Amino acid sequence: MKDIFKVLLLTLFSISSLFALQKDEIKTVMSKKIDASISIIKKENLTSKQKGQEIIKIIDEVFDYRKMALISLGRNAWVSATTEQKKRYLKAFEINLKNSYIDKLGLYTDQKVKVVDIESTFTQKSNVERIKLITELIGQSESYKVNYLFYQNRNKEWLIYDIDLAGTSVIATARKQYAGLLKQKSLEEMISEIEAKNNING
Amino acid sequence: MKNLFFVLIVVFGFTACSSKNNINKQTPSTLEKKVETKTSKETSDDEFNEDFGDDFDGGYAKVEEVFDPLSGYNRIMTTFNDKVFIYALNPTAKGYAYVLPKTVRSGISNFFDNLMFPLRFVNNVLQFKFQNSAEELGRFLINTTFGLAGFMDPAKTEFGWEQHDEDFGQTLGFYGVGEGFHVVLPFLGPSNLRDMVGLVADSYTSPLSNTGSSDLRYKIPDTQTQSLAIRATSVVNGTSLRLGLYESLKKDAFDLYPYFRDLYNQRRNTLIKE
Repeated sequence: MKDIFKVLLLTLFSISSLFALQKDEIKTVMSKKIDASISIIKKENLTSKQKGQEIIKIIDEVFDYRKMALISLGRNAWVSATTEQKKRYLKAFEINLKNSYIDKLGLYTDQKVKVVDIESTFTQKSNVERIKLITELIGQSESYKVNYLFYQNRNKEWLIYDIDLAGTSVIATARKQYAGLLKQKSLEEMISEIEAKNNING
Repeated sequence: MKNLFFVLIVVFGFTACSSKNNINKQTPSTLEKKVETKTSKETSDDEFNEDFGDDFDGGYAKVEEVFDPLSGYNRIMTTFNDKVFIYALNPTAKGYAYVLPKTVRSGISNFFDNLMFPLRFVNNVLQFKFQNSAEELGRFLINTTFGLAGFMDPAKTEFGWEQHDEDFGQTLGFYGVGEGFHVVLPFLGPSNLRDMVGLVADSYTSPLSNTGSSDLRYKIPDTQTQSLAIRATSVVNGTSLRLGLYESLKKDAFDLYPYFRDLYNQRRNTLIKE
């Protein structure tokens, strides 16, 4: 009876880990993903657009674009948006973020990335666990910290909801920028502006 | 004249800090009220709350107004610095990078970093980071001798002693001095009142400037011109090792000035906390 229970538990765990990134896997999985991304960037026979697409394939499943988009926009603006605007915004945000991430990664063709550590913290209000994966871009003269921040969604998957680039949060920066834009412009105009930027940078 | 300017900065710095604190004190209470009234309305929307979670107060957190009395001047200066970078510094750094191989440039960067040892040492001590200051001292001794006057960095490669960058602006921040308000300096870029005071002290301590040469014997340049020349070389060399970074950051900006102001503030705050 005990054995059956054990077997059941084991299969349950192995099934769930097939689909979702588990806490103790974050470090190894992310190391692999970062290494794979860097080796794509170093490939000389690919155009930068192809490199971008390859990298997106690798990182797509660990990024929660929706959550990032929503906290960047803030709840008030999100509530006032029409369904059409929401759709357009989510899409525009995702493309914008991918472009930016790939562009930054592409800067460091000759550098190494070291996964330094993994840290667990709990949010103040509802005491939910958060994980910070600390990595370091090691250049010839300087190195920068790049931290990936994970939260656990309702499917128990650990997903990235923010990236900390050398002490600056991607989401906090986006929040400030969008708030600034929305002071002078309508949401519609802001979305168009992000889309226009995506057309230039993409 | 110089002293008058310094006194003005300090006076402004203190008034700015006090007004800023008042603003900070007011915001949390109003924010909390808003959150309470609104969450009760929308708790039914589960998926919605799931998306926001705790982050930024469940998506309700207001983006704080930045106290920015110089915004008009700062905007103009940001554009000026941007043009200086695009038309002067970046092409120079590119040409420089074309002529000198990366290993040489990285050696020169190490050399300048090694000379800035007094600045890092003093500020680590002032922030009670004694382990770091001991490592800095060790780094300086080893890199100056075995590292061929600092061009190599054996302290890091052989002993794993990292460089611990600290400046007077960070030290002031460590002791709780507020940033005052944002000031974009010509050629030097984003700064604030606190860090400007820091810069004055930095340049007094730095061996690469000639300010305070009557008090400190280790100053390398004898004149202002020499000091500028050394500084320019160091900046061009540094930029040549970071080609593309500025453009890449700029691509993300919707409005250049507030974007750089925010990045600067975030980065400085992280450095002060470390």
